[in-house]
Amino acid sequence: MSDSPVVRARNLGKTFGKGSDRVEALRGIDLDIESGEFVSLIGPSGCGKSTLLRLIGDLVPASSGELTVNGKSPQQARLDRDYGIVFQKATLLDWRTVTKNVELPLEIMDEEARSERAASMLDLVQLSDFAKHYPWQLSGGMQQRVAIARALAFEPSLLLMDEPFGALDEMTRELMQQEVLRLWQQTHTTVVFVTHSIPEAVFLSTRVIVMSARPGRITDRIETQLPYPRTVDTRESAAYYDKITEVRESLRRGDRQ
Amino acid sequence: MTDTKPAAREATRTSELRHRLRKHVPAAVLFVLGLVAWEGLIRAFDVESFVLPAPSEIGSRLVDQWSVIMSAAGNTMIEVIGGLTAGVVLGVTVALISVRWEAAREGILPFAIATNAMPIIALAPIANNMFPVTSPVSKMTVVAIVVFFPVMINTVRGLTEVGTGELELMRSFAATPRELFTKVRIPSALPYFFSALKVASTLSIIAAIVAEYFGGPQDVLGQYIIAKANLFVFPDAWAAILVASAIGIAFYGIILGAERLVMSWHVSLRATEAG
Ligand SMILES: Nc1ncnc2c1ncn2[C@@H]1O[C@H](COP(=O)(O)OP(=O)(O)OP(=O)(O)O)[C@@H](O)[C@H]1O
Ligand SMILES: [Mg+2]
Repeated sequence: MSDSPVVRARNLGKTFGKGSDRVEALRGIDLDIESGEFVSLIGPSGCGKSTLLRLIGDLVPASSGELTVNGKSPQQARLDRDYGIVFQKATLLDWRTVTKNVELPLEIMDEEARSERAASMLDLVQLSDFAKHYPWQLSGGMQQRVAIARALAFEPSLLLMDEPFGALDEMTRELMQQEVLRLWQQTHTTVVFVTHSIPEAVFLSTRVIVMSARPGRITDRIETQLPYPRTVDTRESAAYYDKITEVRESLRRGDRQ
Repeated sequence: MTDTKPAAREATRTSELRHRLRKHVPAAVLFVLGLVAWEGLIRAFDVESFVLPAPSEIGSRLVDQWSVIMSAAGNTMIEVIGGLTAGVVLGVTVALISVRWEAAREGILPFAIATNAMPIIALAPIANNMFPVTSPVSKMTVVAIVVFFPVMINTVRGLTEVGTGELELMRSFAATPRELFTKVRIPSALPYFFSALKVASTLSIIAAIVAEYFGGPQDVLGQYIIAKANLFVFPDAWAAILVASAIGIAFYGIILGAERLVMSWHVSLRATEAG
C-alpha cells in the first residue's frame, strides 16, 4: 500500500448538466500523486481545477474513468477520514471558539484527548494565544490558519486545498505559504493545492500540474526541482524565476492548443 | 494578549457600563420631554380626558385602580404565557421535524403555511365557544396560533440557511445527519429563533387582549379596557393599556436576557458588526 500512489486517476472525466446546459468540466485526466508529494493544480479560470479536487475529495461524483484514493474509492476514503479540506473561505463556526473549531472533527470522530490535540495543533499554526477567541475576532489570515489546524487535527493522509490564500494580501500570503510548507514537512501529509498564482505554485510544490480549459485537461507536468526548505532566498533565486517562466510558457502553450 | 490584568479589566468594565448608560441617555431625555410636552399640551388646550387624558391623570388612576388592574393583568399574563409557550414549542417542533426529514417537510409545510393565511382574529369568537367560558384555554389557543407561524418559519429558515462550505466541511469529516443537525444546523438557527421570539412575544399580547374583547372571564385586561371605555372612564382604560405595554416590554427584556445567556457569541458579534 505504501508503494501505491495516494491519488490515482485514469481517463477520469466529469460532465455537469444535460442538453444545452451540458458542461464537460474534465476529460481524460491521468494523474498519479505519490505519498508525501506537494502537487499544485494551475490553469485558467474554469479549467476544472476545483472540480478535480472535489472529485478526489468525494464532494462530487465522477462521470467516467477511474479514481482511487489510498487504493480505495473516494467515498471509502472519505468515510475513513483520509482527507482534510481547506477552501478559500475558512468556514469556521461562529459560535465556537478557535479551540472548539479545531476540536470539531475530533468530536465527530470520537477521538480521545481532544483538547490536548487541539492545543498542539494551535501551537503548530502559532495561534495558542487566541485559543479562546471567536473566529470573528481574528484576521483573515488567522482564520485560515485555524482552518488548516482543523483540517490537520485528525491527521489525514491527504490535504486538499482550493485557493486557500486567494483572499489574503500579498504579505500574509507569503507568510502562509511558508507556514504551509513547514506543516507539510512536519506532518508528512500529501498535499493537493489549487491556485491561480504561478509563483505560489512554484514556490510550494514538488510538482506543478498545468491544466487547460474547454474541456478541462492536463497539458503539462513540471517538476520544480528546487531544494527544500524553501525560504526568502528561494524566492530570489534564478532557478525559481526560471521555473516561473517555464510554467507561464506552458500555460500559454496549453491555452493555444 | 489574553492575560489582561484584573485592574485593567475592571476599568474596561466600568467604562463599558458608563458607555452603555450614556447610550440610553438620549432615549430617556426624549421620554421625559415627551411626557412634559404631552402634559403641557393637554393643560394648555384643555383637552377632554375622553379624547386623551394627561399622563398625570393616567398615573393617578393607575395608583387608584392598582389592585384591580394587577389582578386582570395577572390573568392576561397566564393566557399569554400559556399560549406563547404552546405556540413556540409547536413551531419549533414542526420546524425541526420538517427540516430533519424531507418527507415530513413536503407533508407538513403546506399546512403550516396555510395557518398564516388564516385571519386569526376571526377565530377568536369561535375559540371562545370551543372551551368552557371561564377557561383561559380559548385565549391560549388564539395566542398559540398567532405565535406558531413566525416561530416555525424563522426556525426553518435558520435551520436550512447553512452554507455549502459548512455542509461540505461536515461531509469531509464523514459526519452523520444527526451530527450535522446538532453541531451546525441548530446553532445557526438560534439567531433566527430569537428574533422570531421577539416578534412572537409582542404578537402574543396583542392576540390575548383582542381575544378577550370577544368575551369570557371578566377579570382580564381586555375586558377591563372595554368596560371602562363603555363607561367613558378613559383614564382607567389608558392605565390598563400602560400596564399591557409594560408587560410587552418586560417580555422583550426577558428574551434579550435569554439571548445573551444562550448565544453570547452572537450578541457580541452583532455588537462588533454594528461598530
Ligand atoms: N456544480 C456545477 N454544476 C454545473 N457546472 C459546474 C459545477 N461546478 C463546476 N461547473 C463547471 O465546470 C467547469 C469547471 O469549473 P471549476 O470550478 O472546476 O473551475 P476552476 O478551474 O476551479 O475555476 P476557477 O479558477 O475560476 O476556480 C466550469 O465551466 C464550471 O462552470
Ligand atoms: Mg476553482
